[in-house]
Amino acid sequence: MNQNEILAECNKIFIDQLDNPSIVLKRETTAADIDEWDSLNHIQIIVAIEKRFKIRFTSSEIQNFKSVGDMCDAIAKKVTA
Amino acid sequence: MSEQMTYILSEISKQNPLHGKKLKKTLSALKDYEQIADHVIDKYSALLKKQGRTIDYGIDCYLKMINDVTYESVQFIQSGKYTSTSFEEVNKRVYGNPEIMEYYMHGLIMSTVLWRHHYHIYNFFVNTFPKYTKDVKRYLEIGGGHGLFVSEAMRILPKDAAIDLVDISQSSINMAKGLIDSNRVNYILHDVYKYDKDKTYDFVTMGEVLEHVEDPLGLLKKIKSLLKDTGTAYITTPTNAPAIDHIYLFNNVQEIRDLIHKAGFEIKDELVLPTEDMTEEEANRTKTTLLYAAFIK
Repeated sequence: MNQNEILAECNKIFIDQLDNPSIVLKRETTAADIDEWDSLNHIQIIVAIEKRFKIRFTSSEIQNFKSVGDMCDAIAKKVTA
Repeated sequence: MSEQMTYILSEISKQNPLHGKKLKKTLSALKDYEQIADHVIDKYSALLKKQGRTIDYGIDCYLKMINDVTYESVQFIQSGKYTSTSFEEVNKRVYGNPEIMEYYMHGLIMSTVLWRHHYHIYNFFVNTFPKYTKDVKRYLEIGGGHGLFVSEAMRILPKDAAIDLVDISQSSINMAKGLIDSNRVNYILHDVYKYDKDKTYDFVTMGEVLEHVEDPLGLLKKIKSLLKDTGTAYITTPTNAPAIDHIYLFNNVQEIRDLIHKAGFEIKDELVLPTEDMTEEEANRTKTTLLYAAFIK
């Protein structure tokens, strides 16, 4: 799975979890760009990503997610490992 | 909002924008927030000053605790269980680890003014406790943690009431000593299950301890044995609350009430606090944390 496909899958998860069909993720997207994205639904997003890609993040990986690109990179490392 | 709280929220938002956003949403709706938050933070800042630290240290500790809670929450949703289930495990992982205990205790005291349910539970104690303190001669707090509740109890209790604090962690006792800063409190490093006193107590407080033990019923029975027949206890504990040192999972508030009754207590005053904007039923269904508090006799 390439980075664009990972980003597209994450986009679907964000739309579903935040119940906002107008979300368009970019690698640079951060919490500042999406009103509904806060620490509470961030947990649900991480859980949904882990289920979708059949991966488990470590605590330090989760702490270092500052943008959507960080999340996509961590996913890419695990799905290609 | 005061300059102090504005600074705390702004630093949290800089370092953890997702969490900062959530705090701004929840704290803006709290009644009398500014005055009470300042009271708690002033007390805490005095402790930090004595330690040669600033509020930035508290913010750092709080954010470390938030990282732990986030990770534990993800694991909880995936598995339906807490990551630790035995006391031995968490004693090694947390209570016997001064580095973790240090940031955990500082993080928890900050949470009194940053988590809506901790803020409400603190107010519930401060506002309801005076109803039960008239004839209190001997007061005990079990698992005093950072010491904030003992410090408030000391302010409210009759001046001649003896105050004991029992905790299993030396780190907690050290922090409570610093925060309370009074020789009126007798600090006892002890496992409460093995704690025996010749004289019984008029009032026992035990905030957020039941979820840390393997046998909460045994602990409630222990409290019953430490109380005079006319005595009262103040108990709080959460449902579905993943944390690095929580081992006993309450799935809903009724399980807590049932345990209280099974230990021989009656519930006199109680409060059920969802941590998010949802009803008790929604919180149970979605396994979202609720905090329960009760004065029991």
